[in-house]
Amino acid sequence: MLVLLCVAAVSFGLMMLSPIDPVDAYLGPQMAQVSPEQRALIAERWGFDASPAVQFRHWLQQLLSGELGWSHIYHQPVSDVIGQRVHRSFLLLGGAWLLSLALGILLGIAAGSNEGSWLDRLISGYAYLTASTPTFWLAMLALLLFSVTLGWTPTCCAGPTGVLSQEVTPLTRLHHLLLPTLTLALLGVATLTLHTRAKMVAFMRSDTALHAFAQGASRIDIAWRHGLGHASLPAITLAFASLGELFGGSLLVEHVFAYPGLGQATVAAGLRSDVPLLLAIALFTALFVSVGNLAADGLSRLTDPRTRRSHTNE
Amino acid sequence: MSSQPRLIAAGYAALLALLALLLLGSTAWLGDSPTRMQFAARLLPPSPEHWLGTDALGREVWARTLAGLALSFQVGLSAALLGTLVALSLASLAMLSPLLDALVSLLIDTLLSVPHLLLLLLIAFALGGGTEAVIIAVALTHWPSLARVLRAELRHVHHAPYVAISRGLGKGQGFIISRHLLPHLLPHCLVGALLLFPHAILHEAALTFLGVGLDPTQPAIGVLLADAMRYLTGGYWWLGVFPGLGLLLMVLAIERFASMLREVLAR
Amino acid sequence: MRRTIILALAATCVALSTPAWAKDQLVLAIGGEPEQGFDPLLGWGQYGNPLFQSTLLNRGPDLTPQPGLATTWSLSDDRLTWRLTLRTDARFSDNTPLTAEDVAFTFSAAAKAGGRADLSALASARAVDGNTVELTLKAPRITFIDQLMTLGIVPHAERDNGYDDGYGRQPLGSGPYRLVEWQEGEQLIVERNPYFYGPAPIFERLVFLFTDEAATLSAAHAGQVDLAAIPPALAENIPDPMRRVIMESVDNRGILFPMQPDEGQHATNGAPMGNDVTSDLAIRQAINLALDRETLVDVALNGFGRPAFGPADGLPWSHGDEQLATPNLARANALLDEAGWKRKQDDGLRYKNGQPARFRLTYPSSDTTRQQLAQVSAEMVRPLGIEMQPTGRHWDEIQREALHQDAIVFGFGSQSPQEVYYLFHSAHAGVGFYNSGYYANETVDQHLEAAQAAASAEDAYRHWQAAQWDGTTGYGVQGDTSWAWMVNLAHVYATNRCLDLGDLGVAPHGHGWPVTANLLEWRWTCD
Repeated sequence: MLVLLCVAAVSFGLMMLSPIDPVDAYLGPQMAQVSPEQRALIAERWGFDASPAVQFRHWLQQLLSGELGWSHIYHQPVSDVIGQRVHRSFLLLGGAWLLSLALGILLGIAAGSNEGSWLDRLISGYAYLTASTPTFWLAMLALLLFSVTLGWTPTCCAGPTGVLSQEVTPLTRLHHLLLPTLTLALLGVATLTLHTRAKMVAFMRSDTALHAFAQGASRIDIAWRHGLGHASLPAITLAFASLGELFGGSLLVEHVFAYPGLGQATVAAGLRSDVPLLLAIALFTALFVSVGNLAADGLSRLTDPRTRRSHTNE
Repeated sequence: MSSQPRLIAAGYAALLALLALLLLGSTAWLGDSPTRMQFAARLLPPSPEHWLGTDALGREVWARTLAGLALSFQVGLSAALLGTLVALSLASLAMLSPLLDALVSLLIDTLLSVPHLLLLLLIAFALGGGTEAVIIAVALTHWPSLARVLRAELRHVHHAPYVAISRGLGKGQGFIISRHLLPHLLPHCLVGALLLFPHAILHEAALTFLGVGLDPTQPAIGVLLADAMRYLTGGYWWLGVFPGLGLLLMVLAIERFASMLREVLAR
Repeated sequence: MRRTIILALAATCVALSTPAWAKDQLVLAIGGEPEQGFDPLLGWGQYGNPLFQSTLLNRGPDLTPQPGLATTWSLSDDRLTWRLTLRTDARFSDNTPLTAEDVAFTFSAAAKAGGRADLSALASARAVDGNTVELTLKAPRITFIDQLMTLGIVPHAERDNGYDDGYGRQPLGSGPYRLVEWQEGEQLIVERNPYFYGPAPIFERLVFLFTDEAATLSAAHAGQVDLAAIPPALAENIPDPMRRVIMESVDNRGILFPMQPDEGQHATNGAPMGNDVTSDLAIRQAINLALDRETLVDVALNGFGRPAFGPADGLPWSHGDEQLATPNLARANALLDEAGWKRKQDDGLRYKNGQPARFRLTYPSSDTTRQQLAQVSAEMVRPLGIEMQPTGRHWDEIQREALHQDAIVFGFGSQSPQEVYYLFHSAHAGVGFYNSGYYANETVDQHLEAAQAAASAEDAYRHWQAAQWDGTTGYGVQGDTSWAWMVNLAHVYATNRCLDLGDLGVAPHGHGWPVTANLLEWRWTCD
């Protein structure tokens, strides 16, 4: 909670620093047509002539009462803009998160249980490579290959052209989500894979594994039957903690695929100085990431040695 | 046996140093080839005369890619160093009193709960864009994680026996910090900076790609890739593939070196 | 079990394929999304053909007025009053009749709405009876007929579904199409207006995509668009199933120079004014001499265009003599030397009284063509010792900061001389995007006013031409050199091979949809 307040303060402070005249930010394209008297009125109404501390308090009050301001880019209240786009981004982020988690665990276990083999080297190499790849470049290449050259996926947007938003079927929505989600998932896979692999390597050397070997269990058996449970919790923890990176990646992926989600709105707000929208999104994502961090903290307490020992005694 | 990783690391270091020199000195020996327009040779695919092809204004892609990598290297290095400095300062500051420690902790948590790219966008926006803004933004976004590590290390060392002995002998806080704490931290700082470096480069490229970072008249990798996006569907693949590949290889090299160094220093 | 799988696959294929009714729906990606909404009073349809509304007159293919909502029209002898008779069968898309009240309201309200300086000439608009309307001007204005050809008529505020603040997003009009859904920043879906008085358009539904250049091209290559505007630089690679269509235009690009020195002043919206380098005549003339316009057409337009030396090249209100033999670097260098711009080193930057010959050349960041024009012209001007710094910015930012202090790559081009009046009359200095360089020349003002007061459009031509160059002074390259005009564009489109666009005519500078001017004549030639 305190952290959120801090985020608000920091964001607000940054906005104050920016060279944008706050009255202009609220007027948008109308600013060339507005008289100096009207500008003064607006400044007074929004409290721009007060000290920063007072402005901050005023802004917070507005925020808490649900008044998020007006987005001059989208000609709508900020709350509407966020409301419309949240579920689209949620689908994208959710899908990518689950996919990267599943893939990360699978690949990590496969690599870790066969330490040193060609499979391990392949997977590790792939993970290192992916971790160093610029997300937007990968997205560009994916777009070029799958949408333009092969035509398997659509080239942009959340829905097909010319179809009213109510008429878009869930299947079509999925089709449009496919490539962006895959690309975004690739981001998280690398770290999850390497982390899971490290855990698996440690596990395979542990006493539990040795016991199982002694009893004649095969490598695959140990890896998947016992190792899965052991490795998944840390992986999930890490996944929750990387929500921030995921959102950052979505900014780039949505930009390249012209997917009209929260990420695209963020970039537009940053480029076109839509202060209210930018601030609202900053807070919203901070909330989102904080929840993720809390979940991660909670889970890591679960993987406390005491709990773990009780599991392996079964 | 334990000297082998060191040798490998040393060799790698030499290679990277060579690369760094090459890149940093590139402005000299590249001359104006990154910006020279050849109107008769526009949008040509890779060939013996135009090694990696040319762009829409007839500029050589290989020259622009190298210049862009040099730029990314410089900006990334500056941001990494600045970030490390900030992390070190704040971590040390945190040691001075419990109140400061709590404040720094809060600051770290705050900054870590905002996604990197969003924070970068906010800071770059606040500072009005441009090269300095990008460097500052990247530095300010990446110092928290390193600061956390440094703070933990400082705490750890603070309670070490030899520090207690020093204090018992009446040495001041300044002495303790400079003689005991800082030297211990140096390897961590080095590794931290090196780990920060590739992230800094990637984030700077992302910012520039979105249009908030470096000036579009400079051949930054982000600029090259943003331009390339327009020509992607026309089949001019070399405009996007090579700069991205170059960036990937450079980041990979630095990343591997940093990991190697970390392993070596951990022994 | 197997049958289920096959059915599922089939269903997937059907769901993922494009709808079978492809020709009843036309998909266009030609940009032009209006920020202010589809409100004629706020500027929608300024260049003609507002899709949702009708105009009193239409501009014919030879640029002369044709009947629209008005069946007859006349101008009084004192050239102050227009009298128009309206057709009786015009209906809004909610099936209510369009009357003279609506016309009167539209013109009166437009004159008061912020940002439309052109209707300032209107003194009053009144409905004489249900079908006749009289528009009275404050002073004779030959270009007022443009308003009759471009101002869409909106329902008056007092009636049901009348004009209100939200009109821009739910425009009710009597035009051929009505708005169904507008997903801002993404797409616009419109359907035939069943009560439209003219011939029914062939296409039941139109979809306008507002994707950026890259996304439009991707969509075109994937065969998802029927008509796409292609930036000339990429016009070589029209995707296979489509063909290239070129629409001639008077659309041009040029560099606007701030004409006043920097004295720390600010415009009414707070934007800084003035530029110490471009306010020097020698600099402007030198730049005009250094630009190799043929190469600019080749490089930035891929050959799809021609050199430009003025805002209305080839049109009757443009001076015929305004051509320069370019590039002429020798003469440019001589001019700069004479004016006191000295180089510090042999090939270096020029300085005058300590001021370096350096300034920003700003262009809207989303426009590739302008970016290339800026970069190439900067390159061409460099050997002179002048440094133009190409800077891409969003329009918001341009308005806020750059509009009156940077040189800007602007685009203009109109089928009417009205634009010349706005660009160069001192009364319009700093208004909107027109005379943002604060150009002011009394003699030119007089010529422009004489043109407006002329007895007929033809009579006016010689005055318009005199404003550009009258033998002593003028806004053109022989006189004040207020701009460095670069190129005239040809508009390039990629169209579905089955789409027949008819006779396209000549496009003005297009922030709207100039290609849709003859929309009612388009045909689909496949089955």
